[in-house]
Amino acid sequence: MYPRQHLTTPLLQRPDPAVSIDSTTISRAKLGDIDAFTAIVEAYHQRCLRFARSMLRNPDDAEDMVQEAFVRLYRALPRYEERYRFESWLFQILGNCCRTANTTFRRVEARAVDDESIVERMPSADMPGRQFDEEWSTAVRTALAEVPDYNREIFLLHYIEGFSYDEIERMTGVRQSALKMRVKRASDYLRRRLAPDRQ
Amino acid sequence: MTNSDNDPVLRRAIDDLRRLPPLDPEAVRRVVSAAAIARVSPAEDDDMIVAPPSRSLTVWAVVGIAAAAAFVGFALRGVWTSHASAPARVVASAPAAAKLRPIDMGSDGLPVPQQFVFENARAHRVSIVGDFNGWNAAKTPMLHTPDGTSWSVIVPMLPGRHIYGFMVDDSIFTLDPRAQKSRDADLGTEGSVVIVGRP
Repeated sequence: MYPRQHLTTPLLQRPDPAVSIDSTTISRAKLGDIDAFTAIVEAYHQRCLRFARSMLRNPDDAEDMVQEAFVRLYRALPRYEERYRFESWLFQILGNCCRTANTTFRRVEARAVDDESIVERMPSADMPGRQFDEEWSTAVRTALAEVPDYNREIFLLHYIEGFSYDEIERMTGVRQSALKMRVKRASDYLRRRLAPDRQ
Repeated sequence: MTNSDNDPVLRRAIDDLRRLPPLDPEAVRRVVSAAAIARVSPAEDDDMIVAPPSRSLTVWAVVGIAAAAAFVGFALRGVWTSHASAPARVVASAPAAAKLRPIDMGSDGLPVPQQFVFENARAHRVSIVGDFNGWNAAKTPMLHTPDGTSWSVIVPMLPGRHIYGFMVDDSIFTLDPRAQKSRDADLGTEGSVVIVGRP
């Protein structure tokens, strides 16, 4: 299957650049200012939810995990050091929450899709546009869910959340060479799954 | 950008995954409420925190008795622990515990009083924050020593490994120079480590 549209957005970009929190807001939240903390949650909630839905083996837990991450962040804010990038810190906490949740969630059989079934669900070129988009979106998420957790997380941080390899190395402690390999493996897997007729 | 980055299938998949879920004000409200409650409500082990009532001689009498008792106990047993194994000064013993609150020091799994001392003559306010008090700077203020050079507090803590730090003037998180440092597995930032247990 080939995408119908040609994309103009660059593959690697810092998503949602308008959504950033100034250091004053963070300092106020650090001192317990609930309005400042609310501004932080409003700024990052959508991105956190997007990340959690793709990271978790059970996407239904995403809202709970995002809430858990923000609660932990708020309680730990007093020891937040300005030299760390706030966004990296938030996603580091959220990643830890998701990883913990994944270790306790048993893989459901529905996720263990075989090659045949996913190919059958691929949208075909003669579908109406909207239906095609929905099918494509489902296929992408199904394929991504089959990528091993440790590759999926780095893929999401890099390509979807826009963190550089430098930042991810600081967040995870994993060396850049290993990070690039994980992203490549996740990318290769997605490509194989989403365009099997091109292999 | 590598060849794989230019792959149209992968680009389309990434573009799809970058779509943000709609902002849900109700979800934001729930997150903020949960965080606020978690920060202001007693932590699970909150009742273990003994906040010094005032700068009274009583507290320092307790500290003195505890220090003396600990010294005698340690000397008799011939046990001296290095900073590496006991980063915070352990000065409490049964008499001190009895004065702080009725704690059965003979039973496993019960709180053990720990004294923390932080040298800073210039600070106006210092509190200890850690996993044992929800990282809440308001919960465990430290007392200025009579000579004005240090701050001190006794905290009953459950046996085990705890991460902590000092909050200076409500805004500067500082590690304990006497203690080992550890990267908090949960939140990623560095903290000081205290191992609570009997010698």
